[in-house]
Amino acid sequence: MAGWSQLPKDLLLLIAQRLNTRFDLLSLRSVCSSWHAFIPYSLHPLPSRFPILPTNGNSWGLYLSSRRILCLRLPESHCQSTINSWLIKVEEDVPDMAHLVNPLSTFQFRHFPPNFPKNFEFSRFRVFELGREYVLQYMNHRPSGEADEGSLHKGKVTFSCASNGDDFVMLTIHVSGKLALFRHGNKKLTLIDDMSSPCDDLIFFKGEFYAVDNTGRTVVVAIGSPPVLSLVADSVSGGNKKSLVESNGELLMVDTYFDQVIHGIMERAVQFKVFKLDQMKRVWVEIENLGDRILFLGEKSTFSAVASEFCGCAGNCIYYTNSFFFPCGQEDDAYTGLGIFNLENGNMGPLSSFPDYAKVIWPPPAWVYSDNIV
Amino acid sequence: MITLKSSDGETFDLDEVVAVEMKTIKNMMEDGCAESVIPVPNVEGKILGKVIEYCKKHVKKSTAKAEEHSLSDADLKAWDSDFIKLDPATLFDLIRAAKHLDVNSLLDLLCQAVADMIKGKSTEEIRNLFNIENDFTPEEEQEILRENQWVFH
Repeated sequence: MAGWSQLPKDLLLLIAQRLNTRFDLLSLRSVCSSWHAFIPYSLHPLPSRFPILPTNGNSWGLYLSSRRILCLRLPESHCQSTINSWLIKVEEDVPDMAHLVNPLSTFQFRHFPPNFPKNFEFSRFRVFELGREYVLQYMNHRPSGEADEGSLHKGKVTFSCASNGDDFVMLTIHVSGKLALFRHGNKKLTLIDDMSSPCDDLIFFKGEFYAVDNTGRTVVVAIGSPPVLSLVADSVSGGNKKSLVESNGELLMVDTYFDQVIHGIMERAVQFKVFKLDQMKRVWVEIENLGDRILFLGEKSTFSAVASEFCGCAGNCIYYTNSFFFPCGQEDDAYTGLGIFNLENGNMGPLSSFPDYAKVIWPPPAWVYSDNIV
Repeated sequence: MITLKSSDGETFDLDEVVAVEMKTIKNMMEDGCAESVIPVPNVEGKILGKVIEYCKKHVKKSTAKAEEHSLSDADLKAWDSDFIKLDPATLFDLIRAAKHLDVNSLLDLLCQAVADMIKGKSTEEIRNLFNIENDFTPEEEQEILRENQWVFH
């Protein structure tokens, strides 16, 4: 009987096309010789570090850095009484120079525990992709005095790319609060004027760009000349900052309530409300319970996970970041600025106070070091 | 009524409307080469039977005789989910049969089922699942390792 390793190329590719993540494709490719020959390294080649905003002969410019948020787990053959995951964010723009970043912030882990394998063989683990994050970085130092383009690098970025990697669209929040669009072939950003309140968040969801403003009013941005905004949901009253997050195939909005410790500079989150979209009535409807799901509101990205598959702890909670800290680097540890909010009873606090929820992020769990893994 | 004969001599009687779900058979019928028994030498009986079972359930509604063939979309999906609960060896044979007999919807269903079995698994788990041997040379192994690691800075 012919075995699976002899599966004809066309059939193997039919299967490979249905895999969603780069890691699944790599796992498949690494199985045996013939599969390695048949399956391409990537089905959607994306130029890494490709430049955005060429700046007419200036020596500096911006490039788009892409990061993957991943959940690593042991293969099932290993006896585990509880689910053990390691939640990480990896930047692989330059092959052979990967960076490990805190999944919720921009804090880069540089000090690894002793014995941590710096050449990290991820193929030993089950790898699940939970989300992507895009960040604009400077290519070289920018000369002082050059405002405009450079100052937008603080805002959230969403990105969409055609499958051949050539045509792309980048949407971001400009420092003015307006939406800014950049398409492949453009020379500069296009500001979109149509939103009356400053934009709080963006997301690329089911093939479309969604943007929510400070009042909760949400639109879909249809990319064109000119871009067209269509209303998806009306404003909601209440909190201070809106975030969009995908959970279980649905679009959710989280409204964060701040307590202004020092007005405009240090804000501390005190409550969260979660809404789901009623597309027919074009309103956000509050939901009281996330069930088994956990939402993650990071600085530059949002994502979600199923609690029982993720950490074995209860779901119905939100990991969030506080702008209530000064990111000076030295005193930061893995948990600086991170907190967790329980929707059930409203309890919340710094992540370091909830070890079961903190340990999925840092330090790397013991099972990633062990040589006993086959 | 059409009769198909598998590679190992098993025969199957089926209505024409079911037989035409398999494009290869349909073409043979249209070309007039179909006699009383159509041989299917590439597919063994156990597998051919499964393909026919699928086709019977999926006969297009417009040609279906009332209660016999029609199922709601949700019921059909549930039936499909049960249908694909098969061991990898059978799946392998079924995929090749679906391709040979040109039953597109079955091929899609099977490829999706296999993809779902693969998602999230490590390379070693995939090898074990499909009973595949690691046949890389040491040089190839090095290349594989380079593709499958992060070098953290």
